[in-house]
Amino acid sequence: MRAERLFRVLGLADPALVEEALETRARRRVEWKRWAALAACLALVLGFGWRVTGGFRGYGSGMSGGGDSGSASGDAPAGSAPMDPGESGGSGGVEDGITFLSYAGPVLPLTTVEDPGGLTAEREITWDFARETNGYKESRQWGAGVTDAYILSNPTEADITVTALYPFAGSFADLAEELPAMKIDGEAVEAVLHAGAYAGGFESTVGAEEPDTMNLMELNSWRGYKALLESGEYQAQALGDGPDLDMPVTVYEFSDFAAPHEQYPAATQTVSFEIDEDATKILTYGFNGCEWDEGFRRYSYFVPDGKRHEPKVKLLIVLGEDVGDYTLQGYQDGGCYPGEEIEGVSCTVTRRTAALDAVLELACRECMEGYDRYGEGWVTEDGPVTFEMYQRAAAELLTQYGLLSGASMDRYADGRLDDMVMETLWQDRVLYLAFPVTAPAGGSVRVECDYWKAPSFDFACSGSEHAGLQGYDLTTRLGSSLDFTRQGAALVNTKNVKITGQDFGFDLETGVTAVELDLEREHYYLEIRPIRE
Amino acid sequence: MEDGQIIQLYWDRDQRAIPETEGKYGKLLRSISWNLLHSREDAEECVSDTYLRAWEAIPPARPGAFRNWLGRITRNLSLDRWKSLRAEKRGGGAEALLGELEDCLPAPAGRSVEDVELAELLNGFLRGLTREARAMFLRRYWYGESVAEIAGALDCGEGKVKSSLFRSRRALREYLEKEGIAV
Repeated sequence: MRAERLFRVLGLADPALVEEALETRARRRVEWKRWAALAACLALVLGFGWRVTGGFRGYGSGMSGGGDSGSASGDAPAGSAPMDPGESGGSGGVEDGITFLSYAGPVLPLTTVEDPGGLTAEREITWDFARETNGYKESRQWGAGVTDAYILSNPTEADITVTALYPFAGSFADLAEELPAMKIDGEAVEAVLHAGAYAGGFESTVGAEEPDTMNLMELNSWRGYKALLESGEYQAQALGDGPDLDMPVTVYEFSDFAAPHEQYPAATQTVSFEIDEDATKILTYGFNGCEWDEGFRRYSYFVPDGKRHEPKVKLLIVLGEDVGDYTLQGYQDGGCYPGEEIEGVSCTVTRRTAALDAVLELACRECMEGYDRYGEGWVTEDGPVTFEMYQRAAAELLTQYGLLSGASMDRYADGRLDDMVMETLWQDRVLYLAFPVTAPAGGSVRVECDYWKAPSFDFACSGSEHAGLQGYDLTTRLGSSLDFTRQGAALVNTKNVKITGQDFGFDLETGVTAVELDLEREHYYLEIRPIRE
Repeated sequence: MEDGQIIQLYWDRDQRAIPETEGKYGKLLRSISWNLLHSREDAEECVSDTYLRAWEAIPPARPGAFRNWLGRITRNLSLDRWKSLRAEKRGGGAEALLGELEDCLPAPAGRSVEDVELAELLNGFLRGLTREARAMFLRRYWYGESVAEIAGALDCGEGKVKSSLFRSRRALREYLEKEGIAV
């Protein structure tokens, strides 16, 4: 209640300040300016060949969370698809339905890891628009229950056993709600989860003077998934081994923190050093700020006070040639402004050599520990998302788009592992559930995939004419090795919805709630509006 | 249409006041409400209720900062709605916002003050922030924007926004404690 009062009273803040907040544009680049050595460092340093330097060297500026944007041009890296001509956020492509601002991804068809031999497949997909299909006590319709069922028939004279693979679009954070449950002939089966890499790409900051790759560009249409999955490479990568990060790195671990917190609640520690950019790359975990100029770096963190939710693990990870002498300095706050140096900030710095994958595992575990308040159950030892899977996905992000990629996206150019391991939880990807299926000789087996699926939609505040609509779609054959002989689609519990757009052929007014699909068509879409009581 | 002209429509009891307000500020108000409720229908209703409140309040009110005045109504209505829905519905942006504002609360030993005095203290605190930090703080806790939205609007990394918000929350708590204020 006290926080609520604070929130309400904030509403009475000076209107001029409130207006100003919407007009303020942050500085994109920091003007680097050398300033004179000012103060001696106060720190306790342990390790091999490391010493506290007597003087201070630094560059004045506010903290820069991102760093310079650079001018990388590849805004749609391999694996992602650029938008088709004519497509744009929030506007509708006629043939494919509306291009929603938030795209949930299509329902994808079952496939098999191995060649399915002589198996043929019939598919029946059902969307259930009953309320509360997502398990919440929602008083209104949101999302749909999906039953994606298959009859696999075996006309041969020998049993056929394959590894069935059910792909679905989602993220690790969504899995608690959207993990499909698999059944074979009505019996629940355990399936092994595999995760594909980040499915989207990167795009430039709006209004950037030079194009950059600072922003995520999630897939916004089924065609993006088509480009991603059609070649089979994405699936092969998801089922294969992850990146090998068993490379030695030098790790500087910061611990035993001390600072005059009572006087300076945001006391900050900086570490600065010279760097040969061609020979060395730096990753960090637990640092809050970084600044750089050619041949120089300064990283900073708020000194943990044991109270706030601040990572206690502070790692500076050196890839390649080790850095030389470094300088530690305490500041009043994260601004690290000249003249605001303070005494009494100290830490222990331990230098060690470790394998990068071990360091990444530590970062992933620390990140999840920090998320315990919000993300309990996202990543567990028992799955469905295991730490191993999470770490592997973070490694893929690092090697495909981070500093280990050779052409890092601007978003990750500052080397903050915090951002990468956190975003790994949220980024859209295609996940696969693998399980063995046997179709008896001359017989058939029914495979059923049940789950709740969020809709595609436009945000209410977007001003879009499509706000309030929900989009659902499917692909008939994309990425599937199965030989389909029939596909059908059906809707149930439709009293809560009105169809506003589709190419299925449903007609709720005349009771047409089940239709046959044309196997030559790659994609079908359905748009509905909930009916308010 | 200028704000003064729209307000005059209210004074004249001219029903065009509502669509004019909607046209000029509807998007912003929906954004604020959505940020707190994460529900399109509820946000729509809160914005509609905002117009109703404006119709009832003007006259006699003649708000000087009309956009801010409307936004404040929407914030309060949205928070009320969030509270009424909280028992039966999880999540919503308000839950996260209030959770973060817990960091700002001083020890309860201080003296109690009226809202107006507390608001003046908050103004003093806000003026003491850098313009950038103030913008981030108000975008988050006045307009209810997400960290990602703020980072996008201010062309900076989310880490920077989080750091700034964290420092500002901490600084506000220190400020209120120093003033001996209980919230």
